[in-house]
Amino acid sequence: MPWSRIEQSHSAADSGRIISYKDAIREAIDQAMIHDPRVFVIGLDADDKFGAFGTLLDMTHPERIIGTPISENAMTGVALGAAVSGMRPLYVHLRVDFMLLTMDQIVNYVAKWRYMTQGQVKVPIVIRAVIGRGWGCGAQHSQTLSSFFTHIPGLKVVMPSTPYDAKGLLLAAIKDDYPVISIEHRWLYKNTGGVPQELYTVPLGKGRILKSGNSLTVVATSAAVIDTLNGCEKHNLDVEVIDPRTLKPLDEGMILESVAKTGRLLVVDYDYPSCGFAAEVCAMVAEKGFASLKAPVQRYTFPESSMPASGILERAYYPNPDKIAARIKEMLAEQPVLSRA
Amino acid sequence: MDKLTKTTGIALLKKLREIRQFEERIIPLYPTDVMVTPVHLHIGQEAVPVGVCAHLTAADTIFFGHRTHGPALAKGMDMNKLMAELYGRTTGCSRSYGGSMHVVDPANGMLGSSAIVGGSIALGVGSALAAKLSGQDRIAVSYFGDGAMDSGVFWESINFAALKQVPVLFVCENNLLSNTMTQAEHLFAKPTAVVQNFMPAFSADGTDVQSVYSVVGEAIAHIRTKRQPAFVECRTKRWMKHQGVDRDDLTYNKVDPKQDDPIWKLEQGLLENSMITEAEIKQITKDIELRIDAAIEFAQNSPFPNAEDLVREV
Repeated sequence: MPWSRIEQSHSAADSGRIISYKDAIREAIDQAMIHDPRVFVIGLDADDKFGAFGTLLDMTHPERIIGTPISENAMTGVALGAAVSGMRPLYVHLRVDFMLLTMDQIVNYVAKWRYMTQGQVKVPIVIRAVIGRGWGCGAQHSQTLSSFFTHIPGLKVVMPSTPYDAKGLLLAAIKDDYPVISIEHRWLYKNTGGVPQELYTVPLGKGRILKSGNSLTVVATSAAVIDTLNGCEKHNLDVEVIDPRTLKPLDEGMILESVAKTGRLLVVDYDYPSCGFAAEVCAMVAEKGFASLKAPVQRYTFPESSMPASGILERAYYPNPDKIAARIKEMLAEQPVLSRA
Repeated sequence: MDKLTKTTGIALLKKLREIRQFEERIIPLYPTDVMVTPVHLHIGQEAVPVGVCAHLTAADTIFFGHRTHGPALAKGMDMNKLMAELYGRTTGCSRSYGGSMHVVDPANGMLGSSAIVGGSIALGVGSALAAKLSGQDRIAVSYFGDGAMDSGVFWESINFAALKQVPVLFVCENNLLSNTMTQAEHLFAKPTAVVQNFMPAFSADGTDVQSVYSVVGEAIAHIRTKRQPAFVECRTKRWMKHQGVDRDDLTYNKVDPKQDDPIWKLEQGLLENSMITEAEIKQITKDIELRIDAAIEFAQNSPFPNAEDLVREV
């Protein structure tokens, strides 16, 4: 198989070339389609002049970019039917909220197909979804929903935060013979960083320590981890910041090792709180790293509410670097209530 | 028998009988709980899968719903593998992880089946799209019942297949019942009348394998030569209850034991045209019984899965 020759790398060894997050995604898809004729792209407006926020513009193989009707449920079944027939579809949703129309196909079909057939049929399907927020987008255009998909056995979920990971994780997802959901935050699209020109993969299930520190561990994904880093820099906080990069499979070892050092955990997750990813990470640490904890684990998520439209309410709703830093300072100011065993 | 040769007629009869006799053997076994899986029997409706699959090669793919035994056997699944799956054994087609509703046989173009009515229609369209994108000359079949035509995924699939002109055959095995609802209670318009705006739409008598064979032959010739989709509705009768091994007893679903029986019809036609003798029919019946005996023995002697293999291929 041609994909087995792609080098795996999860070092942050940035090349000298600086490109944007958006261009890193575009390059990954273009190179994947050149590399493997089985790769094709499907999605509403995938082939229009905006090219999925620029991630599908000026592609080498436009004949394999297929625009679809507003029929998300059937189109997911179409992608699955193509995947089990030997293709490697990449389905793109410009708003993750529209994925709720496909939950039958994603949960009842895509996630279960490999298990029900016991691997006699492979399911190499990638579903990309863009999340956004702000500018009055309101309740139906601002959700994250990553915890929804992470809940379902049979789905892998990735959330790249840097241009390097955006390319490497997407290529790893396309290479994988299991279904992968990739969630990209629109606010990261203009961010820039070092991205090697060649094909490379970031392994699914490997986190990355973006900042070393000693007093507290922050686990955060996607835009939340970038906001956390900015908050720590601005307020000069001695905390360790971990980007798990894949929500499932989760790099539990990296998180537990860090908590063993710091004794404190905050999970920043830009998603709803109940039964969410933040709760999952907290539960995992409570189960497997309780003896390391000096203080209760904490979550910082969206409020238990849908998203508002008015700017004043939006600013109250969403976390930002200053709010995250304030939460970290509060945690550090509290006296340890748990002593190490 | 104006449309069938002797060879084809006998081949179709063997498949009809294989499905009928396979399921008739399930009926007395089922209450003994050797098969712990919900079954949706095909008895009486065999002409549809047999007439369709007679035109398919192993490379052609097919995606069907919860009523699996008919199309699975018609498409070429080994009877032993299907029986072992019903018995929950590791030698089953899905290695005991699927049950009656989730059967798979990649070598024969069966890439999985679904119990959520309607959804697998889209998979056939995707498989046809894959054939088109990769330049393969095979076709795909989306096989479903009339209840599935209520679903959005059906109409989304019809629309997309027509827009992209992919080589897919939509087969509606219309037994006129959605569980216990009549078609008039759940579908406002005649399906072929609407679908013909999207693609050639054909109708066949689903109680008559000659009719299905002939009409589907025409539809598939269109798909293979033009690389375009087509739709066939086959009206049939459901003899059994929606689920389980009991005869249906709905007052508005009267079954005529001869006119609604595809096996009786085909055997009469073959006998009248001297293409088969009573003795030959008896021999065919007996041969199939022996194969079913062997399949049951194979299933009974196959191992159950190990509990430690619960989390596999997740």
